[in-house]
Amino acid sequence: MATKVKEPAAPAAAPKSAANGRPNSENPLISDDKLKQIYSTMVKCRLLEERARTLKKQARFKGNYYAAVGQEAVAVGAGIDLRPEDTVAPSHRDFILNFIKGVPLEIMFSQLYGRVTSPDKGRSSPAHCGYAPLNIITPASTIAAQLNIGTGVALANQMKKNDNVVVALSGEGSTSLGFWHEALNFAGVRNLPIVYICQNNLWAESVSVKLQTRVDDISLKATGYGFPGITVDGNDAVAMYRVAQEAIARARSGGGPTLIEAKTYRWYGHSEIDPAKYRSAEEVEEWKAKDPNAAMERYLTGKKLLSADWKQQIIDSFNKELDAAVEYAEKQPQAQPIECLDHLYSFDVRSRELDRKTCTPQY
Amino acid sequence: MSVSYLDAINAALNEEMRRDPSVFIIGEDVGVMGGAFGVTKGLYEEFGPDRVIDSPLAEGIIVSSSIGAAMAGMRPVPEIQFVDFITPAMDAITQQAAKLRYRSAGAQTCPLTLRVCYGGGTGGGMYHSQTNTTWFAHEPGLIVVAPATPTDAKGMLKASIRQDDPVIYFEHKKLYRLPAIKEDVPESADFLSDLFHCAVRRPGKDATIVTYGFMLQPSLQAAEKIAEETGASIEVIDLRVLNPLDHETILNSIAKTGRLCIVQEDHRTLGIGSEIAATVAELAFDCLDAPILRVAAPDVPAIPAAEPLEQFYMPDLPKIMTAMRQLLQY
Ligand SMILES: Cc1ncc(C[n+]2csc(CCOP(=O)(O)OP(=O)(O)O)c2C)c(N)n1
Ligand SMILES: [Mg+2]
Repeated sequence: MATKVKEPAAPAAAPKSAANGRPNSENPLISDDKLKQIYSTMVKCRLLEERARTLKKQARFKGNYYAAVGQEAVAVGAGIDLRPEDTVAPSHRDFILNFIKGVPLEIMFSQLYGRVTSPDKGRSSPAHCGYAPLNIITPASTIAAQLNIGTGVALANQMKKNDNVVVALSGEGSTSLGFWHEALNFAGVRNLPIVYICQNNLWAESVSVKLQTRVDDISLKATGYGFPGITVDGNDAVAMYRVAQEAIARARSGGGPTLIEAKTYRWYGHSEIDPAKYRSAEEVEEWKAKDPNAAMERYLTGKKLLSADWKQQIIDSFNKELDAAVEYAEKQPQAQPIECLDHLYSFDVRSRELDRKTCTPQY
Repeated sequence: MSVSYLDAINAALNEEMRRDPSVFIIGEDVGVMGGAFGVTKGLYEEFGPDRVIDSPLAEGIIVSSSIGAAMAGMRPVPEIQFVDFITPAMDAITQQAAKLRYRSAGAQTCPLTLRVCYGGGTGGGMYHSQTNTTWFAHEPGLIVVAPATPTDAKGMLKASIRQDDPVIYFEHKKLYRLPAIKEDVPESADFLSDLFHCAVRRPGKDATIVTYGFMLQPSLQAAEKIAEETGASIEVIDLRVLNPLDHETILNSIAKTGRLCIVQEDHRTLGIGSEIAATVAELAFDCLDAPILRVAAPDVPAIPAAEPLEQFYMPDLPKIMTAMRQLLQY
């Protein structure tokens, strides 16, 4: 059932005139194949989320869904080159990070449908997908808490002297919580291998970023914790990729944490039940005009790297993959009611709950 | 006019804000949007952004700043959008609000009313369904209330706001718009409900159910069904107040019925039922004709989202019926 989700990245062409190590037209910062991989992944992320939204609207699955449509460049730029051993600490809006990191679509749709084949066997909200084999932390809903846990993973990586990194994602609203500041402060003190990505999409549910912070650039806040902070156009996939890769490389090589503020926008409501009446239609239109996927398309077209055929091919073949994943998930059963009592401890407590006179768990 | 639980809360807030300029609201999405569930709708328009404050996303400062403002003479009514997210405010609630009066020997107090949305059975999953009432009922120094009807929702909120103590006011999300509980609610601006006593919602003589919040609904239905099936009459007590507990009403009922079942949405271990059972065993042992029973959620960390799991978790009418038959047959 494994689905291939990453375009194979062609081995980087050996630079011909890399004597001075600087990028030039023959030794570009980003290979053409990588640019195409970034673009096709963004297209797929959007198709994936639009499919999830449609299924939700059709009430094919229950619960809620928090789409990151409009923010694809951030997730793809940060996640596309991560290794399986690297950890992702996602927020409620980072479902697509699972896909980017390589989680099979069947598993992701099982999560949406709350089936036994989902990583959490139907316990959490549809969008709260984690995946242990690829080191994606199963999210709670507590805003910002994943940053602190991710920081602990980074501490362990440092202690174990490996070169794994952690990418911890959250929204601008999360920066108001104490958690956020505790995580960054500690990472600064210990010089931990972690990259914090603040997806500043201007809104935290109905609350404007203007009511979250007095500063214009959230990246400023890193200064107070003693490590670099950078603001990037989160709708520019190339910029996002470059900034994220530099931060990831620095973390990998012992250079410590980075805070990246990606300025972006969520196109739809906070969740599928939010009509988002608190913001103006003009604002939404203005940002839709800055569509990161369309921008990347223009960029690739300019470089003659994109043909209409290739684009259509990505869409058609991925839609088929989505169809198959949906079909798969819909066929899976839900958990048996009694499984409500499982996975509390390293030992079983079913018998204790069912026959309350026994008090010895099955160790 | 028949009023919903949600509208009753909204009316209470509106009336108290009109009456007392020191009353203000603070919380996430309470202003422009009128709350995640629409409970504070219209208040931002009437009272403005300085009395209906859209706070940063930070429960700690929502409650802490309310405590400070209350000390300085205001009457804050902060809101926690989901009790599942109350934990960043736990120091503020348990170490500050609950202990301020005690630690200053009465010299400093913080009369605030923390409105908290709670409860499961909506498919919300682990982090939008919890019933953590016990965490707070366990803290002497806090008044903890959980109204189950629109009349109580209004009267108890108004009384809480006027009360010179920190009150944690639990409102169940499934009650907000439940048509079955809509009722006429007193319209007088000075209508207040008692904050210290349980209410007997259905008198009976053969057994007692003690419950609160949404669980009052299936409990009343169970009493009705039992009466039809067996003719036994069940007394149903709505706790209303989880701390300090009204022992007297409960003990009087047990003296009459001799049988007790506690129905709680929270999981079993150290839930409010444990305290009630212990109290009844200690103070009314000689009145009991049967072992005390509890209908509670199982001891798992939170409510799972998938339907079969959620159903297994949630106390409901069939589970209460099973317990009541067992209780009556003993
Ligand atoms: C501690 C906590 N408080 C409140 C909530 C409810 N809530 C869920 S998402 C959200 C807004 C998050 O905004 P932001 O961090 O900007 O992320 P975005 O949704 O924009 O991606 C809120 C208030 C929560 N999940 N956790
Ligand atoms: Mg945001």
